[in-house]
Amino acid sequence: MAVAVNIPTNLWEEDSEAVITSWLVSDGGTVTEGQLVAEIMVEKVQHEVRAPASGTITISQPAEAVVAKGAEIGSIA
Amino acid sequence: MEKNSLQEENLTPTKEQKFWMYRNMLVSRFLEESIEQIYLEGKKPVFNMAAGPIPGEMHLSNGQEPCAVGVCAHLQPFDVVTATHRPHHIAVAKGVNLNKMVAEIFGKSTGLSGGRGGHMHIFDADVNFACSGIIGQGMGPAVGAALSRKMQGKEGVGVAFIGEGAVNQGAFHEAMNLAAVWKLPFITIIEDNQWGISVAKSESTAVPDNSVRAQAYGIPGYQVRDNDTYEIFRVAGEAIERARKGGGPSLIEIETYRLAGHFMGDAEGYRPPGELDGLKAKDPINVMRARLGSEEGLTDEQNDRIVAEARATVDAAVNFARESAYPSPEEALEKVFV
Amino acid sequence: MNEQVTTVAANERRLTIARAMAEAIAQEMRTDPSVFVMGEDIAKLGGVFGNTRGLLEEFGNERVRDTPISETAFMGAAVGAASDGMRPVVELMFVDFFGVCFDAIYNSAAKNAYFSGGNVKVPMVLMTSTGGGYCDAGQHSQCLYATFAHLPGMKVITPSNAYDAKGLMTSAIRDNNPVIYMFHKGLQGMGWLGTEPGATVHVPEEAYEIPFGKAAIVREGSDVSIVAVGMGVHHSLKAAAKLAEEGVSAEVIDLRTLVPLDRDTVFNSVAKTGRLIVVDEDYKSYGVTGEIIATIAERDVSILKASPQRVAYPDIPIPFTRPMEQFALPNPDKIISAYHNLKRARTWRWL
Repeated sequence: MAVAVNIPTNLWEEDSEAVITSWLVSDGGTVTEGQLVAEIMVEKVQHEVRAPASGTITISQPAEAVVAKGAEIGSIA
Repeated sequence: MEKNSLQEENLTPTKEQKFWMYRNMLVSRFLEESIEQIYLEGKKPVFNMAAGPIPGEMHLSNGQEPCAVGVCAHLQPFDVVTATHRPHHIAVAKGVNLNKMVAEIFGKSTGLSGGRGGHMHIFDADVNFACSGIIGQGMGPAVGAALSRKMQGKEGVGVAFIGEGAVNQGAFHEAMNLAAVWKLPFITIIEDNQWGISVAKSESTAVPDNSVRAQAYGIPGYQVRDNDTYEIFRVAGEAIERARKGGGPSLIEIETYRLAGHFMGDAEGYRPPGELDGLKAKDPINVMRARLGSEEGLTDEQNDRIVAEARATVDAAVNFARESAYPSPEEALEKVFV
Repeated sequence: MNEQVTTVAANERRLTIARAMAEAIAQEMRTDPSVFVMGEDIAKLGGVFGNTRGLLEEFGNERVRDTPISETAFMGAAVGAASDGMRPVVELMFVDFFGVCFDAIYNSAAKNAYFSGGNVKVPMVLMTSTGGGYCDAGQHSQCLYATFAHLPGMKVITPSNAYDAKGLMTSAIRDNNPVIYMFHKGLQGMGWLGTEPGATVHVPEEAYEIPFGKAAIVREGSDVSIVAVGMGVHHSLKAAAKLAEEGVSAEVIDLRTLVPLDRDTVFNSVAKTGRLIVVDEDYKSYGVTGEIIATIAERDVSILKASPQRVAYPDIPIPFTRPMEQFALPNPDKIISAYHNLKRARTWRWL
């Protein structure tokens, strides 16, 4: 059962969008739970996105994509 | 020598000077607010410093206006001022050509340097203003200008505006000593906004009050608390007068506040919560407005007019900048040598 | 780019250069208590360019020290501490600021080992940001590679990607000599600055060293040798990809370190291709491009089929405004033009 990798909703207050500045794993790569998988930026602040589960990651939003709070950017199966 | 050896004269601004200061504070603030908005154009949602009509770094002076107007109220175009990477309020108060300055910030060919300098390298030879992005770099040149005037028997003082962080640069010490030993018409204005990017003054500087350093050079030193425009006016007035009369250099530290981050893009995570709100409540422009109301009977209607004029001045400069053309790329190769 | 990234590794984890630098420093600090970090805004902030992220939290403020804006003092202090058994990693926030502290670097750090006949060692790493392209003007955008490489006694490192960045930092900290670690702002991975994605590559978790004086052939080719450092490597790879569409096979060499300089790899490449383009974001005259060309010319000029070409920054202060700055910077198109100039040039033979 695939686990979604979402932009966290608790990192900033306003409804500003974020941009994925770097994917730190490749599409189809193996990840472990808690591993740093992407860096995002909201206005001027950089945040980290970590893997919610272990497994193989599929990336659905590429680097430089603009995403909303809570948006799904990948999934792990 | 006593710290407060500047004479306690009753040096208060005249009505004209008060309004001059107020108007310049407004122009300065509206300029910073306009730049802040324009700077963010093209930088949302992705904040990329290189994007938009005003690219690169930007250091705004919101809140520090009293330092500029309180000092420059006593200066003439022939006096020499050097400033820092946070120069706009000082440039405005010194009388730098606003249209050309904003055009320079936009990187247009009509800018003061034809676009070569940008916001940290504003030079206006007509009013003897220059600034630089290297901490403490303005100290030596302001001393040198003072030296030049003394040697030529010409009027004019040299004033170096620096931040409180620059006091910890070797250039500060050397320039102070040189100015003192040669008894030059030179004044250092330290704008203490409490922060050097993310490092608080208390963490970087061995003494809480930099005016005590004046003792090391045998010159008068003064600390102005709480961003008080009239107190700055008084203290700067005496120091500048003293310099003009051949009395040598002075050191003035002003406790001020920056209402924005160190640079645009600064997330300011290092500021304690609530600090910024406390500062906004003491906005020096509001304080000045209230003073003009009670001292000079400034009505809301009159104030509205002054405010509208200040906005119009800034808007005109911004429009001039927007409508000006960029230089052609090959012009980059010109003006290396004269 | 290198063997590490040809396939998607099963446990691939990419790092930005900022993270790679911080990771290398942290790993050394865990095993060697004499390593400490100082500089402006490197503690709480984790560095303006992110290269000391997490260090304060892990090691505390005795070993991770924010300094006053006093480069003369803390560079000098780094020399003294290094001479006394510590291994400082000290940051000069922008290389352009070297002017306020250069004596401690070039006259002291670089020379004390020599002056003392090798008895006094100065094992310090000076990390500093370089490079422009985002309108930060003449005092915040320089590269100054040649300024440091030219003066004897200090090693000079210029990583182009995160894998090299970590290995070179580890080697730098373990080296008993002063090392100037020059990272490029446009490769760092700071979201607010725009980053060349090619710099963010897989980085092994364990500590590893990359030896100095070993250039990397990051793309093999046979028609022309393109030699570069830092951002120039990425421009060269893009130019090479475009040239390939024209049927030109370009070899791209990442020097990785300027001191010591791997002249042999460069020479052998040019011996193979006969054509040389050198790319440098630092000022053209009296710099890296001249040094590489001189290396070929003095060893054996007959290997050249045409005069070498330089794609370098013109000898001007860096201008602020975007059209001027973009005009001045090296870029893939200029490299491609340089190749066509090479082809047009009259070939000659050693008589």
